Amino acid sequence: MKPPTFDYYDPATLEEALELMERYGSEAKVLAGGQSLMPLLNLRLARPSVLVDLNRIPGMDGVGREDGWLRVGALARQWDVEHAPEVVRHLPVLRETLRFVAHPQIRMRGTVGGSIAHADPAAELPAVLVCLDGEVVAYRRGGMRIIAARELFVTYLTTSLEPTEILTEVRWPIPPAGTGCAFVELARRHGDYALVGVAALLRLAPDGSVVEGRIALAGCGPVPVRAREAEKTLLGARPSEELWEEVGRQAASAVDPPSDLHASSAYRRHVAAVLVARALQLACDRARGEEEG
Amino acid sequence: MRERVRTVRLSVNGKVYEVTVETRKTLADAIREDVGLTGTHLGCEHGVCGACTVLLDGRPVRSCLLLAVQAEGHEVTTVEALGTPEQLHPIQRAFWEHHGLQCGFCTPGILMSTVWFLQQNPRPSREEIREMLAGHLCRCTGYLQIVESIEAAARAFGEGTP
Amino acid sequence: MKRAVGRSMARREDLRLLTGRGRYVADLRLSGMHQVAFVRSPYPHARIRSARVPNGMVCRAGDLEGVRPIAPRWDGEGFLRTEQPPLARDVVRYVGEPVAVAVAPTRYEAEDLAEQVQVEYEPLVPIHDVDVALSPGAPKLHADNVLYRRSHLHGDPEEVFRRAEVVVQTAIRSARCTAAPLEGRGVTAWYDGNTLWVWTNTQTPSLIRSALAQCLDLPETAVRVLVPDTGGAFGQKMHLYPEEIVVSWLALRLGVPVQWVEDRWENLLASTQAREERMEVELAARSDGRILALRVRIVGDVGAYHVFPTTAALEPLGAAQILPGPYDVPHYAYEVLAVATNKPPTGAYRGVGMTVGVLAMERAVDLLAARVGLDPVEVRRRNLIREGRFPYTSASGLVYDGGSFAEALERACALADYRRLRREQEEAKRQGKWMGIGIACYVEYTGLGSATFRRRGMVEVPGHEGAAIRVEPDGTIQVRVSFPHQGQGHETTLAQLVADAVGCPVERVRVERVDTGASPHGSGTFASRSSVAGAGAVLAAVEQVQQRARAVAAALLEASLEDVVWEGERFFVRGAPGRAVTFAEVAEAAYRVPGVRSVSPGLEAVAYFDPPPATFSNGVHVAVVEVDPETGLVRILGYFVAEDCGRIINPLVVRGQLCGAVAQGIGEALLEHAAYDDQGQPLATTFMDYLIPTVWEVPDSLEVVHLERPSERPGGFKGMGEGGAIGAPAALANAVADAVGAPVTCLPLTPELVLELVKQGRAAGDVDRASRPA
Repeated sequence: MKPPTFDYYDPATLEEALELMERYGSEAKVLAGGQSLMPLLNLRLARPSVLVDLNRIPGMDGVGREDGWLRVGALARQWDVEHAPEVVRHLPVLRETLRFVAHPQIRMRGTVGGSIAHADPAAELPAVLVCLDGEVVAYRRGGMRIIAARELFVTYLTTSLEPTEILTEVRWPIPPAGTGCAFVELARRHGDYALVGVAALLRLAPDGSVVEGRIALAGCGPVPVRAREAEKTLLGARPSEELWEEVGRQAASAVDPPSDLHASSAYRRHVAAVLVARALQLACDRARGEEEG
Repeated sequence: MRERVRTVRLSVNGKVYEVTVETRKTLADAIREDVGLTGTHLGCEHGVCGACTVLLDGRPVRSCLLLAVQAEGHEVTTVEALGTPEQLHPIQRAFWEHHGLQCGFCTPGILMSTVWFLQQNPRPSREEIREMLAGHLCRCTGYLQIVESIEAAARAFGEGTP
Repeated sequence: MKRAVGRSMARREDLRLLTGRGRYVADLRLSGMHQVAFVRSPYPHARIRSARVPNGMVCRAGDLEGVRPIAPRWDGEGFLRTEQPPLARDVVRYVGEPVAVAVAPTRYEAEDLAEQVQVEYEPLVPIHDVDVALSPGAPKLHADNVLYRRSHLHGDPEEVFRRAEVVVQTAIRSARCTAAPLEGRGVTAWYDGNTLWVWTNTQTPSLIRSALAQCLDLPETAVRVLVPDTGGAFGQKMHLYPEEIVVSWLALRLGVPVQWVEDRWENLLASTQAREERMEVELAARSDGRILALRVRIVGDVGAYHVFPTTAALEPLGAAQILPGPYDVPHYAYEVLAVATNKPPTGAYRGVGMTVGVLAMERAVDLLAARVGLDPVEVRRRNLIREGRFPYTSASGLVYDGGSFAEALERACALADYRRLRREQEEAKRQGKWMGIGIACYVEYTGLGSATFRRRGMVEVPGHEGAAIRVEPDGTIQVRVSFPHQGQGHETTLAQLVADAVGCPVERVRVERVDTGASPHGSGTFASRSSVAGAGAVLAAVEQVQQRARAVAAALLEASLEDVVWEGERFFVRGAPGRAVTFAEVAEAAYRVPGVRSVSPGLEAVAYFDPPPATFSNGVHVAVVEVDPETGLVRILGYFVAEDCGRIINPLVVRGQLCGAVAQGIGEALLEHAAYDDQGQPLATTFMDYLIPTVWEVPDSLEVVHLERPSERPGGFKGMGEGGAIGAPAALANAVADAVGAPVTCLPLTPELVLELVKQGRAAGDVDRASRPA
């Protein structure tokens, strides 16, 4: 279990990194926190001929709030994001989610941007990004673009980032007051990838009815999935346990989760329904201000 | 700069080592083979078990998931920086007194995480200890005596033992 | 002086292990050392057509001219011998079987080289389970796929079953597991032209030395096996492995030191696995719950080859023999089959045989309780062997030398406050919570002697242990033993024994690591034998030293031997306490004072101990769980153990052994599965997929009560390394079954499986979930 050979570059500026990406394209892999890529290298399951390490590039690890967005630089470590005052105050669901990501020792090094770009469909952060309708900023040599979360995840471990592009920032919209968000998951063992994870967002009108509801599921398909049909059922409805269960069933019936050693597709679908209901209840409590979050 | 072999200056336990390594070499292997400190162990080499945990600028990281070249410019701390058999570090002493280890293979990683953990949380709850410890696999102890060791170490710090 | 035995002493080996000064096999560095990587079969079953080997140091089976295969012997009927060449020659029989070996200055380069070896395989039909293996027309992995078969009849079970008032039956499947010690296996070998030095983290150095000498056709004196610090073993490191032979051969051939360190992928792919049994169990009983007869059929999925020294018979036969457990079972019939499949060989793993046997029996006993309408505790109470009946010969022929079966049950129930738990369960049910309580009673055979190994047919294991004790001129005491340690604390516990016997402080005793060039011969560390067989050898050696020390003291004091009194560290003349010498003076005199060296200089002795067949520990586990009926997730609410492992040497160490073993049992019950698909491909080859418990999966407290009924072995000790792992899967299976109101028939209890049981329980138990247990 030792990495295969590769050409290693650790550019000092983003421009240099982008030049390298332009030169090597799909032969190259970007190394940020390395908590997903390094195991793949050690197992020789990933064999890039070129590794472009971003860690020497200064200024890419910021966490800040701007115009209703929380901006997380590509090199911001998950542990630091989890503890950033802006996150604690304005986007507590991100903190809640990060605590499900592996263990503190992994989050010390692992980055939010890396987890998004790695695009594991069972990972927690992509589902939350999709739920919140977040965005990522991607640079290529001589240009940049913003990619909406819904257009980012293409399939298993694949994003719409071009081989010449580097993800530099993840942007999380801060939900308006009166909104509740929640992330729940089921894993066989603490800190493992979720069998199923659910992110939910709920905004209530003054009369208590739902004005906006969003649901995203992890571990239920090749990409994090929004349950758009189920979300429609929420609109205008009065919160109730029965509603959550109904919406949960709807959301689960729309996904086609994978089977593996740890759980079958049918089990994942069942749990998806349960967790959607739990996430909505939690989000509702929070929207009503009954619980922090 | 492109290379497959590079000479780097690794600062480990306050001492600088100039080593020439393949760029693909992990920090764990460089510490063990090039620096010659074998207290850092490899239990899985894919980041799950935590045996190889060292401190990088004071924070616990998996040294099997870092390249040696990435550690240049950072301070690495390994178990060898703690106490000696004659003068154990208070955390080592707590593990010793409370039987917080059996085969000892996972222990150095757990000690390093605990050093960091008690620095940032000197009076942890049992729940917090478990959350930190969940990042380490131990096959011998069933963890109970490790939790008790960490509690004892926290108490020792609280009472101002060195 | 305060006695050392019985005290919670901090361990002496910890000082180096805590400070990074432990030396494990991967830490050994010899100049000029080369590293090894193996080319392993990607197919479960295939013929090797050809291989293209790159430039560089690569060896295949054909290069290992004259090297003998692994082919353990067995004495008895029904055994089919297998041969595993250290590198597969014509056919590969499991994914991960070594096919070629690459040598390079670093492991990185060795792996690069190994990758370039191109082997052409002709895939053969894989046998992924025992059904396929036993089906007509199935390919034969050896002369036959049944590697071992044995049946046993005690009394007349057929007749009893015909007339029985109550019969319960169940089929139980245990999952293939693996020991997964945090340190993998590893070998460093070097040939200096005279001696082949082999540092290997084995549990059985004497046996490995003999086996290596045989395989490599060397005299035993030319092979020296040394055991460095070892990072856990749990049975997995007691076997002879192909890699040990190949690395030793490379050292002979290349003349440079050679090292192979098993990585996690290799450990999960190609080290021995364990436990995969299908068991059919039937109990005949009276309507008052009294067991009359037991009928069992066990089919073990034992993988591709027999392992040395235990063979594939070990697990299924051990299960059948332990199944009657602590219960008085008058009639018993069993049939055992060990069946070859295209998976890695199975071998010892903590609790071997006993864990699955107890699982099957304890499930059946719970079914019996439900059938006759008794509480699970009561039905057990009615069947446990009473104390007046020891020594008791079980229906499988095991002789229980003693125990506290009934008392352990009562003490466990008291510790857990069983009645309160049942009330809490009722209350929880009213609140819609699914709580379950599970009980498991077990006996644990420990400290086996040669008689037991012979009786089984296990002729590769001699059964004795050895100890050599030397008192140095300064009065310090060096202890060498035949059984290495892998975290159990021998350097402390054996020193405690010796210190008490000699009357000196523990600090004066040093227990060395095992080196076959200096340590006495023995069987090794496995099957909970160190505190019985090992301690027996140590105490016998101490006694010889004592006799000699007394003689030296008598000479120094110019008194007759009978008049010399030994107290603590002093010898004095009876009636004249002023005429005294210290132990240190005696030690020095033994070497330096000509007058007292009447027989020979020095103060040392070697002794061996071959224990009587076995001594039995026993215990009772009570597990309390809560099941989430929506997801099937199991949470452990409480865990209680009453254990009788005889006299305790070091309570701290005993507690550690128990907690660790229970955690492994929890893993086996809820998480761990070395799974294979129906093409024979392994599905759990990383720690992301082979799930061993983290601290979150074990309970935050483990309440234990010890009964400490002394055995009749030296010191009153019994073995205790495995009890936790023996009781936990059964207790948890029973607890989950109790919570959901449906029978548990296989492990691990994944959330998905438990959810299925919840559905069954709902369907069956809507009537009345109070008619538990399932």
